[in-house]
This record gives sequence, C-alpha cells and structure tokens, in this order.
Amino acid sequence: MSFATILPIASSRQVRTHTAALFARHRRTLLLTIGLHALAALAAVVGPRLLGEIVQEVRAGGIAATVDRLALLLAAAIVAQTVLTGFARRASFVLAETVFADLREGFVQRLLGLPLSTVERAGTGDLVTRTTGDVEALARTVRFALPETLVATITVALTVAAAFVTGPLVALPLLAGVPLLVVGTRWYLRRAPAGYLREREAYATFTGSLAETVEGARTVEALGLGDQRVRRLEDDIAAAYVAERYTLRLRTLWFPSMELAYAIPVASALLWGAWLVSRDLATLAQVTAVTLYAVQIVDPVDRLVSWLDEIQVGVSALARILGVGLVPDDRSPSGAQPTDRRVVAEDVRFAYREGHDVLHGVDLDLHPGDRLAVVGPSGAGKSTLGRLLAGVHPPRTGRVTVGDVPLVDLPLHQLRGEVMLVTQEHHVFVGTLGDNLRLARAAAGDAQLWEALGAVGAAAWVRALPQGLSTPVGSGGHALSPAQAQHLALARLVLADPHTLVLDEATSLLDPRAARHLERSLAAVLHGRTVVAIAHRLHTAHDADVVAVVEDGLITELGSHRELVEAGGAYAELWSSWRDDTPERQPASHGR
Amino acid sequence: MRPLPYADPGTPDLRSPLRLLWWVAGQQRLTLAGGVAFGVVWMVAQALVPAAIGRGVDAGVGTGDLAAAARWSLVVLFLALVQAVTGVLRHRLAVSNWLQASFRAMQLLSRHSARTGVAVHRVMPTGEVVAAATHDTLRLGALYDISARLAGAVVAYAVVAFLLLRTSLLLGLLVLVGVPVLVLALGPVMRPLHRRQADQRAAAGRLTALGADTVAGLRVLKGVGGEEPLFARYVRSSGELRDTGLRIAGLQAVLDAAQVLLPGVFLVTVTWLSARLALSGVLTAGDVVAFYGYAFFLVIPIRTAVEAADKATRSFVGARRIINVLTVRPGIADPPEPSPAPAPGARLVDGRSGLHVEPGRLTGLVSATPEVTAAIADRLGRFTDDADTTVGEVSLGDLSLGDVRQRIVVSEAQPHLFSGRLRDALDPWQRSSDERVLAALHVAAGEDILDALPEGLDAVVEERGQGFSGGQRQRLALARALLADPEVLVLVEPTSAVDAHTEARIAIRLHNARHGSTTPSLARANGARHDGSMHNGQNPNEQVATRTTVVTTASPLVLDRCDTVAYVEAGRVVAVGDHRRLLAEHAGYRATVTRGEEA
Repeated sequence: MSFATILPIASSRQVRTHTAALFARHRRTLLLTIGLHALAALAAVVGPRLLGEIVQEVRAGGIAATVDRLALLLAAAIVAQTVLTGFARRASFVLAETVFADLREGFVQRLLGLPLSTVERAGTGDLVTRTTGDVEALARTVRFALPETLVATITVALTVAAAFVTGPLVALPLLAGVPLLVVGTRWYLRRAPAGYLREREAYATFTGSLAETVEGARTVEALGLGDQRVRRLEDDIAAAYVAERYTLRLRTLWFPSMELAYAIPVASALLWGAWLVSRDLATLAQVTAVTLYAVQIVDPVDRLVSWLDEIQVGVSALARILGVGLVPDDRSPSGAQPTDRRVVAEDVRFAYREGHDVLHGVDLDLHPGDRLAVVGPSGAGKSTLGRLLAGVHPPRTGRVTVGDVPLVDLPLHQLRGEVMLVTQEHHVFVGTLGDNLRLARAAAGDAQLWEALGAVGAAAWVRALPQGLSTPVGSGGHALSPAQAQHLALARLVLADPHTLVLDEATSLLDPRAARHLERSLAAVLHGRTVVAIAHRLHTAHDADVVAVVEDGLITELGSHRELVEAGGAYAELWSSWRDDTPERQPASHGR
Repeated sequence: MRPLPYADPGTPDLRSPLRLLWWVAGQQRLTLAGGVAFGVVWMVAQALVPAAIGRGVDAGVGTGDLAAAARWSLVVLFLALVQAVTGVLRHRLAVSNWLQASFRAMQLLSRHSARTGVAVHRVMPTGEVVAAATHDTLRLGALYDISARLAGAVVAYAVVAFLLLRTSLLLGLLVLVGVPVLVLALGPVMRPLHRRQADQRAAAGRLTALGADTVAGLRVLKGVGGEEPLFARYVRSSGELRDTGLRIAGLQAVLDAAQVLLPGVFLVTVTWLSARLALSGVLTAGDVVAFYGYAFFLVIPIRTAVEAADKATRSFVGARRIINVLTVRPGIADPPEPSPAPAPGARLVDGRSGLHVEPGRLTGLVSATPEVTAAIADRLGRFTDDADTTVGEVSLGDLSLGDVRQRIVVSEAQPHLFSGRLRDALDPWQRSSDERVLAALHVAAGEDILDALPEGLDAVVEERGQGFSGGQRQRLALARALLADPEVLVLVEPTSAVDAHTEARIAIRLHNARHGSTTPSLARANGARHDGSMHNGQNPNEQVATRTTVVTTASPLVLDRCDTVAYVEAGRVVAVGDHRRLLAEHAGYRATVTRGEEA
C-alpha cells in the first residue's frame, strides 16, 4: 500500500544557518581562495590602464623606450595573472570538492538516520529524487556555480574599482547599464528556476517511461502495448518540448536586454569621454582605459548572471537535502529495561490516516518460544499488526510491550536485539557478500559469517562462488537468485540474533516449490525463538502453536489449529477445502 | 519553431555514425542554414566593435571632436543592437536545431524500444538504452546547436584577419598563425584533463548508484540495522571520489592558467607591435586600441572552435551508441507470407509437450519445476519459436505476429505494472468502462487494494508498481490480463504471492469470469459492453463467447477449479484429467501439488 508521506523541506533560515556553519568550518581555505582570486583579478585590471598609457604615448608621439617599458609591464601583469589564476583555481577546486564531499556524506548520514516508521511508510520516489537529482544539482552548484560566481564577483568589483581609481568622473558611464541589467535579470530569475526545474522533470519523466518500457518489454509485447507506450513516450517528449519552449521564450527577452546593457556603457564611455577630454577634464589615457574596462567587464558580469539561476536551483536542492534530517524521531528511549522476553499487545488500535482505524482493539500474549500464525484475507490488518508487534509504529491506543517496556520506548539498536520484522522485501546491497552479512553485526569475523551461512544451509553455494565471502554482489556484481538473496537475509537474522521474529509473508514472493527449499533454512533460524508468522500458506498455520484469524482489524478466532478446526468457524471452513483436496491425508497426521 | 515531436521521425541511415549525423542534418536543412546565417552576422558584428572603438578614439576622443565621438558611439550602439537581434535569433534557431535533432533521435529510440523491447532488453541492460535515449540524443543534438556559432566564429576570424592584414601584413600574419597555434597548444592539456574528468564522472556515477542502492534497500537496512557499516562504506567511496577530484584540480588549474597565459602573450605581442608601428606612423593610436580589442575578441572564436571539436566528438560517439540500439533486430518476426488466421475457437496444441488446450475451457498446467510450465507458456504465446506449436493445425510461426498477440495473451509470472493512473495501469488500452475495470478487479480479489487508495482508480501507480506489495501487484496484473480479454489467456503462476483466503476467491471467480455464464462480474460486464468503442474491429473474436484459459500453478485451490488439468513431467504431459481424479490416481501429481501442505 502506498502511504506517500511527504518528507519535510528545510526553511530558508535553516539553509542559511547550515551554509554559514559549513563556511565557518572551511573558513581558512575559503579566505585563501578569495584572496588568491582577488590578486589574480587585480593583475587583470592592470591591462587597460597600461594600454591607456600606451595610447597616450603613441598619440603624443612619444619614444619607443617608454612603449617597450609599458609593454613589458603588461607582459609582467599577464604572467602574474597566470600564476595567481592557477593557484586560485586550484584552491577553489579543492574547496569545492571538500565541501561537496561534506554535504553528500551529511546527507547520507541523515538518510540512514530516518526514523523506522517513516522509512516503512514513505514511498521511495521522493527519497530517490533527493538522493540522485538533488545531490547532483548541488554538485553542479558547489563545483561550478559557486566558484564561478565567486571569481566573477571579485573580478567585477575590482574592475569597477579600477575604473573609478582611473578617474571617478570618467568611470561614471560604467554604471549606465546597471538599471537595464538589474530589471532584466530580476525578471528572468523570478521565472527561470521553475522553468528549468520543469525541463529537468520532463526529461526525468521521459527517462522513467523509457526505462519501464524496456524493463517491461515482455509485458508490452504480450499485451500488445507497443502503440500505447509510443504514445506515452511521445507525450513525455512533447512535455519536454513545452518546457524547453518556455525557457527559450524567457531567454528570448532576457538575452537582448543583456546585450544592450553591456553595450550602453561602452558607447557612453566613448561619448562622455570625448566631452570630458574636450573640456580638459580627462586624458585620452583615462578614457581609453575606462572604455576598455567597459568592454572587459562584460565577460565576468555575463558569467555572474548566468550562474545565478543555477545557484537558486542549488539552494532549493540543499533545502530538500537538509529536509531529510528534519523528520522528528519516532521513538524516545525511556531507559527502562525489559524484565523478560514476553511480548504483549493490549487493546491495540492503529490508523495510518486519522479516523480510519485499521486495527480495532487487538490483544495478544506471547511467551518465549511461542509460535503464532496470523491468517486472514488480504487487507484485514495482518501486516499492520505485524509492524506493531515489531515496534515499527506506536499503537494509537493501547500498548505493545516486551518485558513490560513499550517497544517504541527502546532505542532502535536495542529493539533489533529483541524483536525483528522480516518481510518479503529483500535487497542485496552493492558490496561484497560479506559486507551484506555484516550489516547485521559489524564486528562479526569470517568464522561467524560461515557459521551463520551454515545454519541456513547456504555455506555450500557461497563456497562455490569465485571469491567466496569477498564476491561482489548487488547491482553490477555477481547476480544472486531470489532464493540466494533470501538465504542472505536469513543468515543476517542468525547474526542479529533477536529473541522474537515477526515474519510477514517472508517467503511468499518465491514460488512455493522454491520456497520449500528455504523452509528448512527458516526452521533453523526460528529454532529457540518466539515467532509471529503472518501466513499465506495454511501449512504454516497448522504447524503453529496458536493460530490467530484476523478479519477487519480484529482477531476473530484464536486457538490451536485443532481447536479452531473443531470450533467450525472461518478457519475450519478454509481448512476443510484443503483437506477435501487432499483426501489421502488423515487428520491424525496434522498434529505433529 | 516547429512543433515537436514529429508525427513521423523518419527512417534513419544507420550504416555509420557519420551517415546518421548527415541524415539528421538533411532533415532540418532550413533551420541549420538559418542558424548559420544569423550566427555569422551576430559574430561579425561583435568582431567589428573594437574597430568602431578604435575609430572613436582616433576621430572623437583624441581630437575632441564631439560630433565624431557621437557618430562612433552610435556605431557601437548600432553594432550592439545588431548583435542583440541576430544573437537572439541565432540562439532560437540553435536551440531549435538542437531540439529537432535530439528529439528526433529520442523518438526513434522510443519507437524502437516500445516495439522491439524484448530483443533490445536481451542484448543490453536497461541503463544503456536509457542512457542512449537521454544523454546520447542530447549529445547528438549539441553538434547542430553549435553549428551556428561555429560558422560565425570561422567568418569572424576571417574578417578580423582581413582587417589586420589590410592594416599590417605582419600583424595579420601574426593573428592568422597565432590563433590556430593557441588552439593547438591547449590540446595537450585538454586531453588528459578530459580523460580524468571522465574518470571522475564515472566515479561520481558509482557513488550516486551507491546512494540510490542505499535508498532502495533502506527498509531492509533499517530492519536489520546496518546503518553504521553502510555509512562507513559510503564515506570511503565519497572520499575516493573527492581525491579523484583533487587530482584533477591541479590539471584543471594549469588549464585555466594556460587560458590566461596564451591569449595574454598574444595580446601583449599584438599590442606592443601595433604600438611600435603607431610610433613609426604606420598605425594610429585608435588602431592600437582596436588591435587590443581584436586580440581580446579572438578568444571567443578560439573557444568556440575548441568547444565545437569537443561536441563533434561526443556527437559522433552518441550517434554510434544510438545506432547500437536502433540496429537490434526483433528476435521473433513476421513470416514473409503469413498464413490466414484460423477461425476463432481453433485448438491450440503444443507438440513438444503434447499439450492440447481445449477451446473454451480452463486448463491447469502443473509440473514440479515452474520453469518447465513457463517454457510451455512461452511457446503457446510464441515468445519462443517452435514449429510444433500450432493453432487450428497452423504453426504459430506461420501466422502474423499481430494475429498471435491479439488472440493469445501470456501473462508472465512477474508481470510489469506501468506507472500512471491506476485505471490506465489496469486498462492500458483505455477501452473499458469503470464498471468493467471494477469487475476485473473483483475477479482478481483486488477490491481491498482499491479501498485503501483515497483516490480510487485515479490513484497514481509509481514506477514498477512500487508502493504495492508483491501480492497486490500480482492481483492488479491479473485484473489487467483479464481486461485484455483475449481468446486464449495463459496465466503463469498468477497467485504465487497471494494468501490462501484470497487465492480461493480468485480461483472461483476466474473460472466464472472466463466462462461467461454463472458469473456475477466480468462476463456480464463483457456482455453489457455495447458502447461501441470495442466494436471497431479491434477484436474480431469478441462476439464469440469461447474464452480459453490456461493457468500454470501448483495450488490445489486453483487446480480444483480447473475444467481439466495437465500434469507435466520431464517436459511432457503425462496425465490429463480433473484435479481430484489426478490426485487420487497419480502419485507424482499428488506429490507435486500437496507437498507444500505436508512439509
């Protein structure tokens, strides 16, 4: 069932605080980077000044030696700029890589710290987007946008400063383009991020549709869905086209306004300069230098404004990345210690959506070593009951305890040593086979791993793998069959060693015939533990000490297999359909 | 701009990447030509700005002639206006070129994947196809995008060279030779940098995959408690990626420094030479300013040329990958001259196993290993070719594939649910009424799935049906198979992930639904479907009530509801009869279907 809980997004204040802290952590490198870039930019603004001098010299019919000296100075400035740029760039690349590594590691830490109940309920879609899309968007911002805007800002500031140092009056035209630049860019930036986001989403949708078309190729072919898939994909392409056209329209207005904003200072510097020179208020050298500054400043200004929207995207990505850490923890350890291993549920009610109780007052009492089978039709609340018995969710009313301590009052790592939920979901993580096992117990040595594998009957096939425990598995590694993956999950349980297990249709995704091979492995894991088995197959029920029939969120029948069969209720009815199907079996063979 | 996507993306020339690129160019000649024209005007206008400034300095600023200064100042503004107008037109055409080429390739890949998916999927992983359709198509398009700017760069370079040559042979030659030397000089730094950047991208991709893997297994992880070791591993990989980045930093810094130094040296040389020439009276002071401006400007064509070379390479590589996907041929194809389809109700026979599927009946197919019955299902639906699989004594391979697919639908063991509205996931053909969709859900015992969704049939199904449990997905897929409503429906292990209660319900309802008699649900909805939408010849078998169903399963609850059961051993049908008789008479059958209950 899909209960799409939307994960929170950090507020802009939280983003600011976090960014400030991040900068504070890297203050020295940051200051060094800024300093080096400032020096490089300083070397760059010397050029137009020197050229101005050269022009003045030429115009005045000066001597070659002066021109040579000025040209040499110009060469020296270039060399200085080269060296400084190299060091500055290096420093900012290093800073960006370090900061981005910090950010992504922090994100994964927050991801892994998500509360159990959130993970169990949230759809993975939003999380996947944050893990891939948002982290990549942030990478672009940190690696490129931030360093580029930093350099551009410094260069623009120093160029303007240099122009005013050259001659405050002469430099005034530099500001002539500012109003158009500001108005145009503000207009653009208010619309652009949403536009580019829509583009990215449109391409992501297309990617998703294509991936499922290829992955589901067999289904497409079998059900004759080729034309439907083409239509869907071309609809996605059409959506991408609409999104592209929108941003193109924005740029169609913005680009020309920028070009004019760049040209106005150059043209007015010439005209204004001529007037100043004619009034003897400025020299030819000053005017030439300022005009060239007006030309030179175009490139950094252009870089600055074109990275701004990327920075906006980065900020919103950061807000979503930080948001993952804002989910409140779902359990508050009280410090109380369980007195024994009894698991008790009292008058448990629970709702995923307010006002829609899924469980309507369930009571259960499990003694160590008990085997309880929960049966009932789909949607009756079996899985929800299982989650509550495993301490995933707190009940809305009533309580679920182990040794008289509510499960949700235990810290997560302790809870796992008491009760564990085993679902039909299994996942082989990218890494070695040993890595996969050690998730359950990080400190386990190879001998312990082999022991656990042996207990579930998996040692033989693992030994036969090319590199044994070191074989890379998971996506991109050695492919494991579903049964082998299930073996690993079971071996993890042996390593984690909880006293109570809640099995939610743990082997149901496997073909029943394949599942039978796992039954023995499972039996080895269950040995000596309290077991709650949410069952698909009736034989699980008939082997259990106690059977609970759940219907419409209530336990309607509770008792041993024999008692329930004799009681003649819903369970007996279902059982009899099996018995009718298997006429050769005598009732005596049931109770083992 | 042209509306995209195209009604028909055309038939591409797949003989080589170059031919493909050429073919794509041919499809959008006019836009390409327009882009080139505006690109040239735009960049030449840019190239002339230094000349105008130089004249302004000479005629206006230097002499104090305000009228001349105003004249040249207006020329600068006029050039800016020309740049603004042609620049934006160039940009629009360049984007159009890019989108036309990329989207055409996307469409080609989409159509190919939707129609040849099984074969494509067999030879390459999904990721590769998706990468071809997203990254490689956009790369392919980038070549057409840059064509306008490249043309402008070449012409502007020639114009500046001409202006320089006219003024001074020495300076003209310096520029003509110097610029290409600059481009080539950056090459040796670029190549190793690109290589390391590719390594870095690959490492970044692996790290992203590691993140995605963590999310995919997060539930399992939170259940078993492996956060710390997993985090340690992520930090290790993240650190390696950072170190790769740090190794690149030095090289990248050298490249950036070189991009300052090389044009800088050029700039100083041009300035110094022109100043010396000006001193000797050959050039004016304004010329010096102009030459300084040219030297600055020429960086743009240089960068454009480098960028174009890079994009052309990527585009070529992209084209090759696209060709790799587009040249995958379907594994199962139409015969050259298909036989006419036999009349509805013809008997389906799988010669290799000896299975005879009785028309109009529900047949259970059982074997100890599910792979064996799945293979028979594959032959019945012609997913693997076998001359001995026949319908009405015509080999399936002699019929057109369209005929086979329309009459025989095989719903595989792990069917794929497509994302979108639940209604469309169940009825992708969009030809059934709500009533009919609900009836099919009823047969598949899936009402509870619907009840749990506040939006009902409008609820959104995530990719691969994530968000539904395995059992729920299976029931939804069964409902979809029923809505396909073919003459012959082959269901492979349709209830393997469903609990016993639900399985019992499905077994009864399935039997009734496919028989169209006593059923309260689907069959009646079938009969009531006279709204016309289905009567457009899409399904000629529709009027005929014969609905044949094959179920491969080992569940006694389902088998008990089958009209007839075929038991397979070693790939051959060894016993046929009803469930109870086989159970009583055949020990192998008994062992296969009851073993689960005797564990």
